[in-house]
Amino acid sequence: MAQKSLDNPNQPSRLRALLARSREYAPVWTLLALFLFFSVYSDSFLTMENMGNILNQVSLLAIMGTGITFVLLTAQIDLSVSYMATFAGVVAAYYTAAHLPQPWPIFAALLAAAILGWINGVGTSRLGIPSFMVTLAMSLIASGLSLYLTRGRILFDLPPIANTLGSGRVFGLKWLVIVAALTLLAGHLVLKYTRFGRYVYMTGANPKAADLAGVNTKGIITAVMVIAAVTAGMAGIVGIGRLGSATPTAFDGMLIDAIGAVVLGGTSLFGGIGGIPQTIVGLLILGVLRNGLDQISVDIYMKTLITGIILLVALVFNILFAGKKEG
Amino acid sequence: MESKRPLLTLNNVSKKFGGIHALKGIDFEVYPGEVHALVGENGAGKSTMMKILAGVITSYQGEMVWDGRPLKLKNPRHALDLGIAMIHQELSVMPELTVAENIFLGRQLLKGGVVDWPRMFREAEAILTELGFAHVNVRDNLEKYPLGVHQLAEIARAITSGARLIIMDEPTSALSPMETKRLLELTRKLKESGKSVVYISHFLEEVVWVADRITVLRDGQKITTLDAGRTDKKELVKLMLGKEAEFFEESYIGGKEIKDLHERKPPVLQVRRLGKGRHFADVSFALHAGEILGIYGLIGSGHFELGEAIYGLNHPSSGTIELAGKALRGGPGRAIADGIAYVPPSRRSGLFLDKPIFQNVSLPWLAHISRFVPAVAKEVAITRKVIERVGVRPPDPLKEVAFLSGGNQQKVAIARWLVELPKVFVVSEPTRGMDVGAKEEVMHILKQLSEEGVGILLISSEPETILAAAERVLVMAKGRIVSEFSEESVSKEMLLAAASGEMAQSA
Repeated sequence: MAQKSLDNPNQPSRLRALLARSREYAPVWTLLALFLFFSVYSDSFLTMENMGNILNQVSLLAIMGTGITFVLLTAQIDLSVSYMATFAGVVAAYYTAAHLPQPWPIFAALLAAAILGWINGVGTSRLGIPSFMVTLAMSLIASGLSLYLTRGRILFDLPPIANTLGSGRVFGLKWLVIVAALTLLAGHLVLKYTRFGRYVYMTGANPKAADLAGVNTKGIITAVMVIAAVTAGMAGIVGIGRLGSATPTAFDGMLIDAIGAVVLGGTSLFGGIGGIPQTIVGLLILGVLRNGLDQISVDIYMKTLITGIILLVALVFNILFAGKKEG
Repeated sequence: MESKRPLLTLNNVSKKFGGIHALKGIDFEVYPGEVHALVGENGAGKSTMMKILAGVITSYQGEMVWDGRPLKLKNPRHALDLGIAMIHQELSVMPELTVAENIFLGRQLLKGGVVDWPRMFREAEAILTELGFAHVNVRDNLEKYPLGVHQLAEIARAITSGARLIIMDEPTSALSPMETKRLLELTRKLKESGKSVVYISHFLEEVVWVADRITVLRDGQKITTLDAGRTDKKELVKLMLGKEAEFFEESYIGGKEIKDLHERKPPVLQVRRLGKGRHFADVSFALHAGEILGIYGLIGSGHFELGEAIYGLNHPSSGTIELAGKALRGGPGRAIADGIAYVPPSRRSGLFLDKPIFQNVSLPWLAHISRFVPAVAKEVAITRKVIERVGVRPPDPLKEVAFLSGGNQQKVAIARWLVELPKVFVVSEPTRGMDVGAKEEVMHILKQLSEEGVGILLISSEPETILAAAERVLVMAKGRIVSEFSEESVSKEMLLAAASGEMAQSA
């Protein structure tokens, strides 16, 4: 509009930039607010040890969330990740119990997850099944495979690598946190600095336009579903090491938290907007909230309710900050 | 007319976005029973003015007077309650619902808490009969009917909701000539029944035909208000542009000499007996290097699908496409690699509005610009070059496309293909919904490209666009090529006759 009379071109764009930034940073304010609140109202919250706890608590979610970020950026969803994590953990333990030499059980677990992810991807992109449905079906398949392989029992023979990464330390740091940080970093580098990463964003922003520009959007969608499955598989392998056993339902309950953290950070469910930095913020919001509620004296039967309410408020906040673009 | 009191008046209305005046001191009035047209280039302030009238924009300087009383609209709902209805370019109808439901959308007639279907059908029928569309069955789903009826449903909705002022934004841009004629007649009927209409359109001859008065905007200011009976397209074009319009003036005014200079050059694209399901069949033609070949057809004639097929977006069911003697197969990725470029008929489906210009431009070329890691600085530099060439304003590669005007967005869609010059450029509807000035610029770019040897396939349902640039014209109707014009004087009427004559025969 009226680009012809550019008497003061800076003002509107600066205003818009400011608006855009406040939208981007809404989750950060939420995080800071929660952080401050718990620091003030709890003596045990703001300690080095507890900060370490928070990181430890969100690490599995972080590994899983990295893959989910890719999927959401293409405007798809994956409801099978937590079941894939369980399944990968079971496969790793199963083949370890079957005396397959190490590290082959790990590879088998990741490959199994990748295959399921590939089926998700092909079902979505080539066959045109909504990812919501195809991954919902896949969650049952992964869950069913876990039950079938374990016959419902708990497996205690774990790959040594899983034990190390899940509960070991190096230089005083938990391996689990390091794995999570490296996964996030790798995800960030791929999304921000590779051609593939750009294709992921563009596919989510406007799949039709990406097609028209020659982007192989079907391939991109298949690839992100495989990535989500593999990161879920990694979370499952590290996760059994942390738990000390593989059960047929070990990580099933993580689904809502994993997707929730990514969305809470500001990655759009409609694709094209967001990224790993946002996911990190979302993970920390969730981590601080869960941990902080443990530190202050709240009726333990109220905690889930309070978590839900705070998440809802945070999401409303995000939307309000997003505001409306002036046409 | 001057003796009556205006239904709506704007007194000295101004609106700034940031530091930029979108509207400056606008005086405007609409009388009861008047069709008042609003014309101007994109960015002239038409849409801002509309949004103020419809209560979308509520903060502005100046005064609005409604029915003799000062009025401050709170929101679009408020405007609607007072009787100001807006028919947007993108219709807000629900094709899966019946015609009647669409007319009463949001205020179904109820009896004891349940929908009173008999009464709703009856009243819907009554209003459609009154509007001269008795043949439409209000019990049918709207999707059974063409776009013209969708628009009709929206207008009927405005009328039954008690609108006294109806604002129509580019109401005919998607309509066939027949539907357009009906809509214009309907607009006159509205006026005769005492309704007021603010009519916004780029189709100047419609405007001259349907309006009582015409207000011309340019750069946010009112240039003048004319009596429609005492002006013509030529004068309007000049007033809107404030300068001469080289390509379009002729094609707006009447016939045009088209020159075919390329018969002797070898064809770059050869299409033989191409067919695609129900969309088109038995299409054969050759496009020569440096030629602008127009393909004209009414909406639904299959010409857009033909363009998609050449770009590899859909796979033809029969026939062959050869580029410089080599058969083409595969999707857009292959087409781009082979030197085919494509601009789709709908701008939004080709662009990433929320992404910066440079990402829109560089996407097809990322693999060429850098093997693995996108080099943003390089992308921006390449983008700057091509958008400066086509005259995108502002020429800022980092700006998001959403912030550009429609014409400038289209220039971005074209600029992308100048990074590496294509052999064949398929452009579908490159000037739809654009003002004359922006159309002129787009045509200029296409001309330049053709002079550099690019074969251009110009596909459009707007005769002006075809006539403005094409050197040879193929007319499609019902999926087939029905006539070809070259080396002769072609008029809009001839194109329309060719395109609809066949329709009438086979219908």
